[in-house]
Amino acid sequence: MFSKLAVRNVRRSFRDYGVYLLTLTFGVCLFYTFNSIEGQGAMTYLAQNRNPMVEPILMLIDIFSVFVAVVLACLILYANRFLLRRRKRELGTYLLLGLDQGQVSRLLFLETGIVGLLSLAAGLALGVLASWGLSALTLSLFSMDVSQLLGLSFSVKAAGKTVIYFGVIFLMVMAFSGLEVSRAKLIDLLQSSRRSEELKERSLTAAVVQFLLGVLCLLGAYAILLTFGMAVAVAILPICVPMLALGTAGTLLIFKSLSGFVLKFAKGHPGFYYRDLNLFTLRQWISKVHTTYLSQTVICILLLLAIGITASSLGLNSTLEAMTDQQAPFDITVQNQGADWSGPIDFPALLEENRMDPDALLEWQHDVLFYYNDPSVTGMKEASGAIRVSDLDALLARAGRPAYTGTLPHLVENMEEIPVTGNLGLTCVVIPDEMADRLEIRRQVWSADYAGDKENAENSLVPLLESLREKTPVRVSSRLMTYQDMVGSKLLALFLGLYLGFTFLLAAAAVLALQQLSQAADNAGRYAILRRLGAEERQVDRSAVHQVALAFLLPLGLALVHAAVGMKAANDLIAAAGKVDSVQSSLVTALVLTVVYGGYFLATALACKRMARSA
Amino acid sequence: MEEILTALDLKRVYGKGAAVTRALDGVSLTLEAGEFVGVMGPSGSGKTTLLNCVATIDKPTSGSIVIDGRELTGLKGRELAKFRRERLGFIFQDCNLLDTLTAFENIALALSIVKAPAGEIEGRVRETAQLLGISDCLNKYPYQMSGGQQQRCAAARAIVTHPALVLADEPTGALDSKSAKLLLDRLGVLNRDMGATILMVTHDAFTASCCRRVVFLRDGRIFLELRREGQDRRSFFQKIIRVVSELGGEMADVL
Repeated sequence: MFSKLAVRNVRRSFRDYGVYLLTLTFGVCLFYTFNSIEGQGAMTYLAQNRNPMVEPILMLIDIFSVFVAVVLACLILYANRFLLRRRKRELGTYLLLGLDQGQVSRLLFLETGIVGLLSLAAGLALGVLASWGLSALTLSLFSMDVSQLLGLSFSVKAAGKTVIYFGVIFLMVMAFSGLEVSRAKLIDLLQSSRRSEELKERSLTAAVVQFLLGVLCLLGAYAILLTFGMAVAVAILPICVPMLALGTAGTLLIFKSLSGFVLKFAKGHPGFYYRDLNLFTLRQWISKVHTTYLSQTVICILLLLAIGITASSLGLNSTLEAMTDQQAPFDITVQNQGADWSGPIDFPALLEENRMDPDALLEWQHDVLFYYNDPSVTGMKEASGAIRVSDLDALLARAGRPAYTGTLPHLVENMEEIPVTGNLGLTCVVIPDEMADRLEIRRQVWSADYAGDKENAENSLVPLLESLREKTPVRVSSRLMTYQDMVGSKLLALFLGLYLGFTFLLAAAAVLALQQLSQAADNAGRYAILRRLGAEERQVDRSAVHQVALAFLLPLGLALVHAAVGMKAANDLIAAAGKVDSVQSSLVTALVLTVVYGGYFLATALACKRMARSA
Repeated sequence: MEEILTALDLKRVYGKGAAVTRALDGVSLTLEAGEFVGVMGPSGSGKTTLLNCVATIDKPTSGSIVIDGRELTGLKGRELAKFRRERLGFIFQDCNLLDTLTAFENIALALSIVKAPAGEIEGRVRETAQLLGISDCLNKYPYQMSGGQQQRCAAARAIVTHPALVLADEPTGALDSKSAKLLLDRLGVLNRDMGATILMVTHDAFTASCCRRVVFLRDGRIFLELRREGQDRRSFFQKIIRVVSELGGEMADVL
C-alpha cells in the first residue's frame, strides 16, 4: 500500500520534484564524470607515458570529491527541506487521517528511495556521456593524437563510489525528513500556508543613492584590479582586501537597490510602467529584495567563481604550446655533468656504436662545452660557468633567435637567454672563443632535433642515453618529456577547475531555482486576484516568467561583467607568459553556462508558469 | 430604462445522480441601468452561485445571462477575460488588494489591465480615489490601511474602469459598523452620482437596506422581492428584518 502511494506521489509531484531531480541528476553526473577520469583518454595517455602527475591528479580529485560531496549534500538537504515545506498540508492530511508519524516517515523514506534511484540511474547515464565529452575536450585541448583512446566507457569503480557517496546523502535526507515529520505538530502542518512576510516601505530616492554608491564601489574595485594587475591585486593583502571588500559591497548595494532604482526610473515613463503587468512585476521584484539581495550577492559570487575558474582553467591550457616552446627549444638535450673529470662523450660515435645512424635519426645536433668561470680570466665574479660565443650563436640560430652582438665577455643575467631543453642551472658568462683555451671544462651539453617521427626517435634514443648514467652523471631532457610534464600539471588545473566551477554553478543555479519556486508558491494568491481582475493568461504567464528571469539573469549579468574585468586582468598576466587563445575558452565557458544555468532557468520558469496557471 | 443585466431561468446543478445539489433552480432577474440591487438569503440559498454565474467565474447549467447586450453563455476563454475586465467590476469580502502594491498602484493596475492610455491613468485614479474618500492614503500599502480604507480602495479599483455592472460579494462582511456605513455611503454616491449599476450579495439587513431593491433567495429560487420606493432607510430596514425573521433559519443568527 505504502509503496503504491509513494510511487503515485512521486509521479504526481514530478513537476514539483523537477528541480530536485535535476539537481540530483546533475550532481550524480558531475561526481561520476570527475571520478572516472582515471579511465579517460588523457589520463590513460599520461599513465602510458609514466607521467608523475597521474598519482597527484587522482589523489587531488579524491580529496576534492569529499568537498564537492559535502556541498552537494547541503544542497540536496536544502532542496528536500523546501519540498517538505511545500507538502506540509499533504503530510498534515496523512496525520489527520490517522497514519502515525512512523508510517508517514516510512512513506517519505520510500519516496526518497524512488527519487534517489531514478536520479542515480539518470545521472550515471548522463555521466557516461559527460565523461566522453570531457575526454574529447581534454584530448583536443592538448592536441594529442590519440583518437583510439576516445570511446564511451563505463567505470565500475567510479560508479560504485558515486553510489556509495550518494547513498549516504540519501540516507541523510531520509533521516532528516523523518526528523522533520516527527518534530512537526499537526496544527503547524495544516496552517503552513500562512505567510508572515513584512513589507516595509522603502524610499525610492534612497535606492537611487544606494545604487549609485554601489556602482562607484564596483568602479573602484575594477580600477584597483586593472591598475595593479591580477598578480599584484590578488597576492598583496593590503590591495587585495579593499578590492574584494569594495567589489562585494558594490555587488550587494546594487542588488539591494536596483529594483528601487528601476522603479523610480519606470515611474517617469508611464508608457512602460502602465503597460501590461509591468507595474505588478516590478513591485513583486521590489517586495522580495530585502529577502533575496543577500542570496543574490552570494549567487553572483558563486557564478563569478564558476565562470572565472572554468574560463581560466581552459584558457591556461591554450598557453601550453607557447610555454613548451619556451622551455624546450630543442627536441632533446643531454647534460653530461661528469665532463670535468671523465671528459666529454662523443655522441655521434656512441649512436653508431649502437647501430643507429646519426644522420638519419637527427636533423640537427650541436655539442657545447661549458667551462668553469675563472674571474682572473673573464673578469666576471658572479658567473659560475662560461660559454663560447660561437656555441651560443649556433644554439640561438637553431632556436630561431638573433645572434649575440654585444660586447664580450658578457654576463648572462637571464638563464633563458641560452636555449637548452631542460634547466641549465648555471649563471654563465659569454666569452670570445679563444678565451676558452685558458678555462677548464665544466659540463658538456649536447642538443639535437629529431628527423622524421619524433616519438620513434625518442623511444630509441632516450633509453640509450639514460643508460649512460651508470658511468657518469647525465641529465636527459626532451621536448616530449617537458610537454608531458606540463600536460600533467595543466590537466590537474583543468580537472580541478572544471570540477569546482561546475559545483559552484550547480549550487548557484539550484539555490536560485528553489528560491523562485517557493516565491511562486507564495504568489499563487496574487495571480488569482489578477485573473479575477480580468488579466489574460498570457499576461499572467509573462509576469511569472519575467520575475524568474530577473532573478536568474541579474546575478548572471553582474557576474559576467565582473568576470570580463577579471579575465582582462588575468589575460594580461597570462599574456606575459605566452600567447592566450581566450576565444575558445570563452566559447566553451559560455556553452557550459548556458546548458547548466539555462536548464535550471527553463525548468524554474516552466514550473512557476504552471503554478501561476493553477493558482 | 436600458437593461444592463437579464438573467433568464438560470439553473446550476452540482454533482451527478442521487447526490445532485440544485444551487440555482430557475432564477430570473433583471437589472436596469443605474439600479442598486441587493441579494439576500440564508447560507446555501444560491446567492454566491448567482453572483459567480453573473461574474462569469462559474457557468450556469442552463438558462441565459445577457449583460449590456452580450450573451455570456457562448463566450469562451480570452473573450470571457476580455468581457470580465472591460464590462464588470468586482468588490469581494476579503478585499483582495495586492499586498505588494500601494493603493494607487492597485487601482492603476485595473486600468493597465484594460489597456487604458498611460497618460490618462493617473488622473482617473485620483478622481476615483477622491470619490471614495481615500485620496490621503493612495501611497500606502494595504497593510498600512484600515479594513474600511482597503475595502473602499477595492471599490475604487472596481469602478475606475467604468464597468457596466459592479458586483459586490459581502463587501461589508469583514468591516466594523462605522467602516461599513462609510463604504455603503460611498457606494450610494457611486450609484446616484455616477450612475453605476450595482449588484450586491449580502447577509446583513442593514447593508441591504441601502439598496433600492432587495431580492431574497431560498433553495435556489427567488422567494420575494422588496422595493424601497421612497421609504426612508429605517422603515425599509424594518421591512427587510421582517422578511428575514420569516425566512428564519440561519438568517436569524446574523441579527
